[in-house]
Amino acid sequence: MRGREARRVDAPDVPSADPPAVVFRWDLDKTYLRTEFESFRRLVLIPFESATDKVNLPAVPQLMGALRRAALARGERPWVFFLSASPPQIGAEIRKKLALDGIEYDGIVFKDQLRNLLRGRFRTMREQVGYKLGELLHARRQGPAAREVLFGDDWESDPIIYSLYADVLAGALGGDRLAALLAALAVDRESIDRIAADAEVLTAAGPSPDVQRIFINLERRTPPGRFRVFGRRLVPSFNYFQTALSLYEVGLLDAVGLGEVARALHERGFRGERLRNSLDDLVRRGHLEAETADRAILVLHRDGRDLQSPGERTLGARAMATMLRLRRRMARSGSAPDAPTAIDWEKVVSEWMATRKP
Amino acid sequence: MPRIAVDAMGGDFAPDEVVKGVARVSLESEIEVVLVGASDRIQALLDEGPYNPELISVRHCAGAIGMGEDPYEALRGRRDASIVVAARMVADGEADALVTAGNSGAAVLTAAKNFKLIRGVRKAALASVYPRETEHPGQDVFGLLLDVGATIRCDANELAQFAIMGSAYARRVSKQPAPRVGLLNMGREEGKGGEVLVEAHRKLRALPSIHFVGNVEGNDIASGRADVVVAEGLVGNVVQKLLEGLGQAASHLASQAANDNWRWRLGMAMLAPGIEKVRDMTDFGSYGGSPILGFERLCIKAHGRSSERAIANAVKVAAKAVRDRIADEIAEAVAEIR
Repeated sequence: MRGREARRVDAPDVPSADPPAVVFRWDLDKTYLRTEFESFRRLVLIPFESATDKVNLPAVPQLMGALRRAALARGERPWVFFLSASPPQIGAEIRKKLALDGIEYDGIVFKDQLRNLLRGRFRTMREQVGYKLGELLHARRQGPAAREVLFGDDWESDPIIYSLYADVLAGALGGDRLAALLAALAVDRESIDRIAADAEVLTAAGPSPDVQRIFINLERRTPPGRFRVFGRRLVPSFNYFQTALSLYEVGLLDAVGLGEVARALHERGFRGERLRNSLDDLVRRGHLEAETADRAILVLHRDGRDLQSPGERTLGARAMATMLRLRRRMARSGSAPDAPTAIDWEKVVSEWMATRKP
Repeated sequence: MPRIAVDAMGGDFAPDEVVKGVARVSLESEIEVVLVGASDRIQALLDEGPYNPELISVRHCAGAIGMGEDPYEALRGRRDASIVVAARMVADGEADALVTAGNSGAAVLTAAKNFKLIRGVRKAALASVYPRETEHPGQDVFGLLLDVGATIRCDANELAQFAIMGSAYARRVSKQPAPRVGLLNMGREEGKGGEVLVEAHRKLRALPSIHFVGNVEGNDIASGRADVVVAEGLVGNVVQKLLEGLGQAASHLASQAANDNWRWRLGMAMLAPGIEKVRDMTDFGSYGGSPILGFERLCIKAHGRSSERAIANAVKVAAKAVRDRIADEIAEAVAEIR
């Protein structure tokens, strides 16, 4: 092991991608758990929280379970990893919480903040990009070369980290350009060298399935338009119903799983109108095809959930909806939904850093 | 929770401020809003700010009525205009109330065309909320003036009905158990103002359900003497425009004086926090909008120059009026005197 700042726990012996595999990488706080670290008081209390005190975001355990089952049904081995910037000292309670929620996983990585503290590496304690990107690439080198789905949130730097990672795997980013970008993102020299080396090894191995989707949970309600620069691979979602719909569209979630997520949200107070509005929002933002939306409404209707809006009961509104769909389809013709977007990384990084200046 | 249809394309600063206002409501309350207008434009605006998509839906329509258009002409054959589509949604029960910052004439005409009058109500009235002095603690800093343009001339019965409707609205929205109702006239004596106003005065005096304080003169409007001021549309509209014009003139004169003399400028700078406080207290944005009363369905007309804040408050007023069952309250009050 090189001089890593992270402590790996529960790391499994991962074989190569045979049988076919799919990898799900999750952030913990604000993505799976409703961790409140907005105030100093809440932050201090986190290490003392028991597993039963920890609250998951609505429908996340159900989504994780459904993704696993759907992968197995397709004959794929699902790999589930958690990557967190929290210290390993809270690991025991996190593992208990995962067990309570019935979540099966293959590994968790925590950030060894105590070691950083003892070494006086205060900047490293706060630094996210070098830490997380380094861990992702390291995990990829050790794990299966399978397609991946990444789950993060809008609190820290998940969108930029995940997109950098995805572009490295896709062979769109590497070498000096990657190093320069990381330097601009204030990543320390040691981490840059390590990341560059891992990126080179992965690129040299030749083309392999890369990141299919990045989901950013808009826990802070960041305007979704701000993520447009990352292309359509990154889906900013306001709740896990939107995430589930997108996963349903790409075939990673089946109809049963979609129903389970909807049911779990309904139990947490999301009425039919709220689910319907979320679905329509995703369509309007261009992250869900209208045809998939129609299919989802039908599937959920069979599951006993009426997502038909009052307007759809009138003929005029139905005609208008059809016209809009046709218009959208015509506007999109010629560009496949999954066509990769070339990210203007220099611009993205410069704007990203500008928003972080005190 | 009430579902409010908002005309996204109506207003001097539409759709930008309207969409931002609705986005703000979605984060501050549980009110569900349907934005009616050009969906691509609406979504592009939503994308640029924070919002809660679970509480916002969009009904696409291509048309809109401009602020300067003649309402009769504009509404002719324009079934796809945002205000018309929104009103139809309310009429069909898809939404509980309509909010628009668009063309006032078009708002009144659209409501009249799509909503039924409450049984017994002869004419609807457009109300206007205005800032005024208060005479006792707990009194609302805003008074209600109606009608300000839904009608031109009215008879005594219609004025009495306006009083009943305005009183019912103020009772619910301003939380005043017995709002004071005044009849706008050229003198306080009951014999003043001609046949219609004398007859209206007599009828209002005889109504047990309202707290009638008699005739009010022009200089009483800005005082707290009456919480609800009743007038026929022609007069009410002149008064409303006069109040707006006076406010603008006062502000203009003050800045002009400050420009001419450094002592005034200094004085203005020292008074700035106080002026700001008064401005904030009396800003139409803080009450949001005024109702069109008399229909079974509710329409809140927001000011044409409504900002994000004004729209957000107009939506909240609409939701409150729906929750408080204003239309039922008016229907019951009107039924009592039939």
